[in-house]
Amino acid sequence: MSETSFLGRLARQEFVGPLIALLLIVVIVAATTPAFLEPQNFRNIALQVSILSIVAIGSTIVIITGGIDLSPGSMIALLTMCLAVFIKTYGLSLWVAIPLTLLIGCGLGVINGILVAYVGIPAFIVTLAGLSAFKGLALTLNGGTPAFSLSPELREVFYGTFLGLPLPFYYVVGAYALFTIIMEHTRLGREIYAVGGNESAARLSGINVARVRLIAFVFAALCAAVGAVLLSSRLNSGSPNYGTLIELQAIAAAVVGGASLAGGRGRVISTLIGALIIIVVQNGLNLNAVTTSMQSLTIGLIILVAVGVDVWRSRIGASIAGFLNAKTKEV
Amino acid sequence: MQDQSPLWELEGITKTFPGVRANDGISIRLHAGEIHALLGENGCGKSTLIKILSGVHQPDAGTIRRRGDVVQLTSPIQARGEGVATVFQEFSLAPTLTVAENIFLGRYPRRGPLVDWPRMKREAAEVLGSLDIAIAPDRIVGTLSVAEQQLVEIAKAISIDATLLILDEPSTALGEQEIVALHQLLRRMKDRGVSILYISHRLDEVVSLVDSATILKDGKVVSTANGTNLDVDEIVSKMVGEDIDEHYPKQKNATNTVLFSARNLSTDNGVRDVSFDVHAGEVYGLGGVIGSGRTEIARAIFGVDPLTSGKVSIDGKTLRIRNPQDAIRAGLALVPENRKFDGLFFNFNGGPNMTAAALDKIRGQFLLKKRTEADVAQDYIDQLEISPAAARKFVSLLSGGNQQKIVIARWLFADSRVLILDEPTQGIDIGAKIAVYNLINALTARGYAVILISSDHNELIAMSDRIGIIREGSLVETMPAARVTHTHLVQSSAQELTHDAA
Repeated sequence: MSETSFLGRLARQEFVGPLIALLLIVVIVAATTPAFLEPQNFRNIALQVSILSIVAIGSTIVIITGGIDLSPGSMIALLTMCLAVFIKTYGLSLWVAIPLTLLIGCGLGVINGILVAYVGIPAFIVTLAGLSAFKGLALTLNGGTPAFSLSPELREVFYGTFLGLPLPFYYVVGAYALFTIIMEHTRLGREIYAVGGNESAARLSGINVARVRLIAFVFAALCAAVGAVLLSSRLNSGSPNYGTLIELQAIAAAVVGGASLAGGRGRVISTLIGALIIIVVQNGLNLNAVTTSMQSLTIGLIILVAVGVDVWRSRIGASIAGFLNAKTKEV
Repeated sequence: MQDQSPLWELEGITKTFPGVRANDGISIRLHAGEIHALLGENGCGKSTLIKILSGVHQPDAGTIRRRGDVVQLTSPIQARGEGVATVFQEFSLAPTLTVAENIFLGRYPRRGPLVDWPRMKREAAEVLGSLDIAIAPDRIVGTLSVAEQQLVEIAKAISIDATLLILDEPSTALGEQEIVALHQLLRRMKDRGVSILYISHRLDEVVSLVDSATILKDGKVVSTANGTNLDVDEIVSKMVGEDIDEHYPKQKNATNTVLFSARNLSTDNGVRDVSFDVHAGEVYGLGGVIGSGRTEIARAIFGVDPLTSGKVSIDGKTLRIRNPQDAIRAGLALVPENRKFDGLFFNFNGGPNMTAAALDKIRGQFLLKKRTEADVAQDYIDQLEISPAAARKFVSLLSGGNQQKIVIARWLFADSRVLILDEPTQGIDIGAKIAVYNLINALTARGYAVILISSDHNELIAMSDRIGIIREGSLVETMPAARVTHTHLVQSSAQELTHDAA
């Protein structure tokens, strides 16, 4: 049966659609823009996509539980400032400052999670408040001004290489491998999908729904914290303005990758493809000296087209399913 | 009546979807003042036919006539304009609006550019009054019970001067009393000369209500019958297409060992001092009207709603149940009333739906063993005769019967020994109902205890060993199922008991 063959299985994977779209976009950009194919440009794309794609993992997980997280951008602003203050003001070594920053990030996730899962305030509201509050906190550090030239070692965290490949490559692969395993092969991952699919059924099946929601927000915050450390390393600085609007790009990456805002559907690996689509388009537009306003407009259109295609595909899918069911005299 | 020409007439209605002929030359005649049942198992073409009549689908061939004139029903709005009112299974009410606003949705009476609220309220009250529905027009629909919403849905449908009223399983969510009220309402409509097309899986009520019936199978009419020769067993065998020995294949497996006991259970949401025992191998039925507190008792036992007093025990060991996790660990299971909203994960196929309550059983050190899960799923698919497609398809694509079996399989896999089944056969067809009954027999044969909640009285009496009568949240009496009558089950208040006890 073709259904069980490797190709058959591959064709049914949700990420195949976005992947085809990505390849098409790459082909179009490559054909129109010779500079796109230069090795240096590929390096740029890889570095650009690394931060967004890691932050977007967290957004995807929260979206799969049926929630939304608007706070990563401000969290990044706050955490780059924390890292800067730890290094500059307190003179902490990177080996202390970075873990401490990640830990504070998790703490912010715990706050979001408790307010959503245990207090019962809608995720949109809690993280909208976080978007504002974390930014406010960032402005209380270092007199509200950016801190530059933190440490030459810090730059190495982002610009260093290992076996000839830039370090961010390893971070991305590691993060995606880890969270793919968690989401698809652990009990916790299964519970996250169950809560997003049907919260009431999850509760009646003995799943601790509140705990699952809390953990999703902690994952999201941890991903944002990693993003903050990478951004600080790349720019060797901390600033209350870093991370602005990255939460929307991260949500866009998840949605373009096929995650459903209704919850229960979406895959971490598809979000990587979604992030690549966004970054490659931006890169292509940059190389052709398209203005920022037009870029923004284009990304907006991509989100609409991606979700539109998905809606259209599920309608087609439903009628194909109806056809197959009728054929096999089933249902 | 039969001499007159029909009010509505369908002739040779055919509708093909890719790969399936859903309706194949269906002809039905509906006279004025006739209640006509449309029967058949799921997938026989009933839904398609209703959608054609309500303008959702267009037939490939065939004609629809009203009083002899051909009418084209090209859209739902246009079909309503032609006098076809449809009450679909899924409610189409807006929960945040009032009853009056819902009845006049999309056609609010106006004075100039503004909505004429007093007139809308007055006319809504007239519609409700004419149907003897005691619901205030300014109540918010979301605060009404499911049964009341059903009545509002019907009021909305007939407020447009319909000559053909179609009801798709209107009684599914209703208790015995509400069904009686609904039947009265339909008979009044009938006296006004409306044709009614009635779809139901509850054959007992069909026989008592309708004048005639059409049975569909595989998109074709297999039989048409008039009131005098409607016979439930015959209908069932025609629908299923084979002879069925026993509509309720009850096996008696009850032992004398008490497996589960509830003592003095009370909750804040109306359960009052409920005590009962269930023996190993026994089906203990909970009988009573809708809203009598049966579902609340189930939820309290399962740790969904907190107990204010009382305790439950299994094998004589008192359990501390604070949440469903505790209940599941102790061996309890709840198959909820509404499998769509509370039971199934529509983003999963069969396997993950079955393992959801016992994920540790398919877990290694860290990771889930998906191959084991697939084997488990295949096991239950074979054992419970679930459609093989369940292994790879989202459960939303399966029939109600298959879905219900998957929810029950979840609890078998969780090693539950006391299963609470809340309306387990609601909205599934006869063949699947019998499969669920056989499954109940298999459970009790293993020595498990089943607590059965059902608003289908025949089913409850036939499948239970003993029945506890619930009124206003209290258990007023437990008696052998054979001695329970419909009268016991329809009385709603505790006071009435003194009458029949006397």
